[in-house]
Amino acid sequence: MFKGEVDSLKQKLTEADLNLSVVMKSQQHQQQNNLKLKNPLITASGTCGNGKELADFFDINQLGAFTTKGITVKPQAGNKTPRIAETAAGIINSIGLENPGVDSFIKDILPETKNYSLPILANISGYSKEDFITLAEKLEKREEITGIEVNLSCPNIKGGGMIFGTDPEKVYQITKKVREIYSGYLIVKLTPNITDITETALAAENAGADAVSMINTLSAMKIDIDQQKPLLANTFGGLSGPAVRPVAVRMVYQSFKKLNIPILGLGGVRSGSDVIEFMLAGAAAVGIGTVNMIDPTAGPRIIGEIKEYMLKHQIKNLSSIIGAAH
Amino acid sequence: MFKIIANREVGPGIFQLVLNYDQLPQNPEPGHFFNIKVSQDGSEDPLLRRPFSIFDFDAAEKKIEFVYRVIGKGTKILSNLENGTELDVLGPLGTPFSLNKSGGSIHLIGGGMGIAPLYYLAKKLKSSRQTLYLGAANKAELEFFEEKFKGLGVECHLAAMEEKLEIRGSALVLWLNYLEKNTPDYIYTCGPEKMLAAVEKEALKHNIGGELSVEKRMGCGIGVCLSCSCESRDQDQKNKRACVEGPVFGLGEVILSV
Repeated sequence: MFKGEVDSLKQKLTEADLNLSVVMKSQQHQQQNNLKLKNPLITASGTCGNGKELADFFDINQLGAFTTKGITVKPQAGNKTPRIAETAAGIINSIGLENPGVDSFIKDILPETKNYSLPILANISGYSKEDFITLAEKLEKREEITGIEVNLSCPNIKGGGMIFGTDPEKVYQITKKVREIYSGYLIVKLTPNITDITETALAAENAGADAVSMINTLSAMKIDIDQQKPLLANTFGGLSGPAVRPVAVRMVYQSFKKLNIPILGLGGVRSGSDVIEFMLAGAAAVGIGTVNMIDPTAGPRIIGEIKEYMLKHQIKNLSSIIGAAH
Repeated sequence: MFKIIANREVGPGIFQLVLNYDQLPQNPEPGHFFNIKVSQDGSEDPLLRRPFSIFDFDAAEKKIEFVYRVIGKGTKILSNLENGTELDVLGPLGTPFSLNKSGGSIHLIGGGMGIAPLYYLAKKLKSSRQTLYLGAANKAELEFFEEKFKGLGVECHLAAMEEKLEIRGSALVLWLNYLEKNTPDYIYTCGPEKMLAAVEKEALKHNIGGELSVEKRMGCGIGVCLSCSCESRDQDQKNKRACVEGPVFGLGEVILSV
């Protein structure tokens, strides 16, 4: 029996009755460490700048949480251009983690986030275990941020990123180190460029991650047939957008029963229906990424669409559908 | 809401798109661009919007004009849209040309569709003595623009790669023929990046200031994705986003690909 049907036998729900909030539990077994979201929408790193770009279009406090653009220990200029290619229902990017470095992030970017009342998650990337340690140390006790997302899956930087994310042992080691240092909410972002994502997801859980996010982009390329050369200056990039969504939903579904920690599902979400699909597969929260590049006001629109679904199916608590497709 | 009131071919594969709008967050300035969703009815292909520099603007009539060339899937779809079609349009976006050089002698140098942002600019710079150096593949591609600029009283010099007009060659070569004897106070240029780099080099060599508008492959157009980053020439400065700090840059401000 579909969960919504139970509720529908009772009095008909109106919009005021709907509860979109979700709680992403922490492994640290203390309630104050849980990540409480007023709705499951979390911006995906690197698709929303650092808040103020989207804030021109709507009040970003309407979202569940905000993830900042990935930062590294030192400033990075990023890859050469072209950095983006388009493909059917998707884009391939190779930005290469252009960012001002963690010190400038703390000095210049974090103070701006004080204007927001929603939880801020800082996405961090590194080339070595030591990089992640440095980043965790610098961000520990920063009251502006509620948590960090450890990017073990960037396909666009050499000698780091995805290389860690494809090896469960390395995922375990880095996560464990970061966990020892960082006391806030800890999310590990996983790559789909692997045979079995549940292995790296479990490694993150066993090392103490509070949650995993999946998926980062799929390694991809496009060739300019007139120039007869790769279109991206970096040759390879990461595929995102609606094209990858079925892959991401499958991976969330596959991981849900094996994990005891919550999943932040993301990949090609464009609408409320897509958010629902991820949640039914087992995601406790859902990332919105590429869609922000096309529709800067996608966040509030999607929240409206989720409410429509809840009313249609008479679902009072959105969190009740997490994993319901199993 | 934006509605198509004209979308007609004005040269081989070159279209003039005129939109009627209800309201805009601000009136566009020359050099601003708009990001147009070309896919219709929720289609996800193509996924990204297409950025177009403003060609002309009329606040009284609530009209915005663009001129574009059909190159790929997105512009092909756009060219098939009929009058009355409502479009999802974001803008004005980016940093426009500065108009404070008005009054002196100005050269406008356009290569191919790089002409697009220069027309509204020329209109706004009416008090200046303006000369246009425009290059394209052939005469047919240039006729529409020649007529428009002549209508503003701008002196036009035309070059084509496939046939001899004033010269057979590029806008750059054409412009260089005049640069020494008719040195301007300021220049504005738009076109392929290689052309911009060459124009910039010559202008700086002659101590002429100016601005250029880059044509970069963009993702979002609003500064979040960093697809269109341009490297600053000043090593101490951060990369500049073509969609926010640009597409208009001062000569020598960013490193152009050659």
